[in-house]
Amino acid sequence: MWSYDKKLEYPVKIKTPNPAMAKVIITQLGGPDGELGAATRYLSQRYSMPYDEVKAILTDVGTEELAHVELVSAILYQLTKNMTIQQIKNDGFDTYFVDHTAGIYAQAASGTPFSTQTLQVTGDTIADLTEDLAAEQKARLSYDNILRLVDDPDVRDPIKFLREREIVHFQRFGEALRKTQEQLDSKNFYAFNPSFDRCKNNRSRR
Amino acid sequence: MNNRETLLKRLQICDFTLTEVALFLDTHPDHQEALEYYQKYLALREEALQEYVKRFGPITQADQKNSTSWEWVKGPWPWENCEV
Repeated sequence: MWSYDKKLEYPVKIKTPNPAMAKVIITQLGGPDGELGAATRYLSQRYSMPYDEVKAILTDVGTEELAHVELVSAILYQLTKNMTIQQIKNDGFDTYFVDHTAGIYAQAASGTPFSTQTLQVTGDTIADLTEDLAAEQKARLSYDNILRLVDDPDVRDPIKFLREREIVHFQRFGEALRKTQEQLDSKNFYAFNPSFDRCKNNRSRR
Repeated sequence: MNNRETLLKRLQICDFTLTEVALFLDTHPDHQEALEYYQKYLALREEALQEYVKRFGPITQADQKNSTSWEWVKGPWPWENCEV
C-alpha cells in the first residue's frame, strides 16, 4: 500500500503566471511520455516480474513517478494561478480553459486526454524492461524540448531536475535488464519469457 | 496462521484503524475523542511495526536495520501469495 508525504520531491516557486508554458508542459502530466503513464506502466508491470531486484526497482521508480505527477501538477498550478482573461486569450489557453478553467487535467499538449494506449504491460520481463528504457529516453527528450521552449528560470529549474531523474531511471532499468539477462542461458539471451509462474523458484528469506 | 502472518495482521489492523480515523479527522479536525483514538492506535502501531521489522524485515525503506545488505529487495512481495 501507499502513504502520502506532505511535501514536494523538489521545490517549485514560480512568480510569473504563463499559460502558454502550461500548454506545453501539460504533456509531461498526461501526454504519451508523461509522468502519469510512467507511474502506471512501472507499477503495473512489476506483478509479472520474476526477480526481486526488478520488482524492487519497478516499485520504487513507479512510486517516484507518482511524486513527479505531483511536481508537474504543481508547475501547472503555479503557471495558471492568477492568469488574466487577456493572457488566456493571447496565449491560446482558451480551448483548455473552456473545459477545465484552471483545473489540472491529465492530457497531452495536443489536447488528447491521458490514455494507457501509450504504454504496454506484456507480462514478459525483457519486453517490458526494454520498453521502460525507451520510455525514460522519450521523457528525457520531451524535457529537452520543453527547455528549448521555456526561458523563465523558475520553471527551468524543476524541469531540469525532472530531466535528470529520467537519466538516473534509464541507468537503473539498464541494470535491471542486465541482471535479468544474466539469469538466461546463451541460447535465449534476447528472447525468453521467464515470467510465467512460479513462487517456488523465487529466492526468499523465509 | 504462522508468526509472520499474525504479526502482519496486527500491523494491518492498526494501520487500517489509523486510515479510518484520519479520514474522519479530515472532515472533523477538532474532534477530541477522535484525536485521542488516533494517538492510542499510533502507539499500538509503532509497537506492532517494531516487532514485525525486527523479525521479518522492512515495511518501508527507512525500516532498514541490516548494515551489510539492502533488505528491501528480498521477497516475498505483498502481492505474492506464496508459502514461505
